[in-house]
Amino acid sequence: MSYIEEIPCFEVLSSVVFIIEGAVEEARNPQAIASHLDSCLACRSEVAHEQEMHSLLQEVLRRTCDEKAPADLQHSIHEALLRQVTGSGVTEVVTQFSMTEISIEIDEFGNVEHSEIQIEQTHVQHFLDEEK
Amino acid sequence: MASKDLVLESATDRNDRFERDALVFMDQLYAAALRYTKNPEDARDLVQDTYLKAFNSFHQFEEGTNLRAWLYRVLTTTFINTYRKDQRRPQLASGELEDWQLAEAQSHTSDLGKSAEVEALENLPDSDIKRALQEIPEEFRIAVYLADVEGFSYKEIADIVEVPAGTVMSRLHRGRKLLREKLADYAKELGYSTEPKKAKGEKP
Repeated sequence: MSYIEEIPCFEVLSSVVFIIEGAVEEARNPQAIASHLDSCLACRSEVAHEQEMHSLLQEVLRRTCDEKAPADLQHSIHEALLRQVTGSGVTEVVTQFSMTEISIEIDEFGNVEHSEIQIEQTHVQHFLDEEK
Repeated sequence: MASKDLVLESATDRNDRFERDALVFMDQLYAAALRYTKNPEDARDLVQDTYLKAFNSFHQFEEGTNLRAWLYRVLTTTFINTYRKDQRRPQLASGELEDWQLAEAQSHTSDLGKSAEVEALENLPDSDIKRALQEIPEEFRIAVYLADVEGFSYKEIADIVEVPAGTVMSRLHRGRKLLREKLADYAKELGYSTEPKKAKGEKP
């Protein structure tokens, strides 16, 4: 019969992080912890409370820390990566085209209806700079 | 020249693959960077630097292994090496596990009413949760964030932060404890009592 060491409550409670992480076997004395928990109601209730607090804390943290990156960050990373790929750099040629269509209609009662349609188009071309 | 075109094309392909696979984690990395740096400008720069560094060593990354964990590793080491304000702060020694287990064991049994502690945590506003996280020391904050928000195991965190697994355990233990203490303080300020209920029973 193998001998299981008896350990005091504080030693079990100080290992609660191992239990929460699902890694009791990594604690100093896993068998002693299991056997202590079998017989100690106070420790079982303390461990249950710690587990409840942990999942609650996790839930609250996840809800809170969910910021989105700024809208233009992806583009800025893309540009930076592109500069890196080519080693030397990229020349960007941006062609912008914009047109405004204005129409004025006067109906039979003399009401003036005025509308403007703005059409914009941007075309970006990347030219790889000559390598050194 | 044909050979030059080929080289450029493959680099571009690699870039496309990298962007396709890695940029989906941008929001997550940004939220982590906010916790690390504590301000939006540095967080933005940190995320961009992370992607550039990650791309530079992307050829070393094996497809099929955990890209997300790898990106967090780049993020964390970049932060520690570049953005940490107080570079000379001594790191905790790796042999700390034994000490904390004994030193902090007694204080673990708390006087706080258990149901009151749960209630307080459930009712704190998000701003207080963020504030508490910001106020705990960096190594604890990073460990707790990676475990409890990102869901990394303590072994994965050991890889990401490049410290022994036992050290991660100790940081999780202490970090969560510090966080809960801060939150209990805020709850008190807001009028939630985290003291045992019996105090209320006493007639004035």
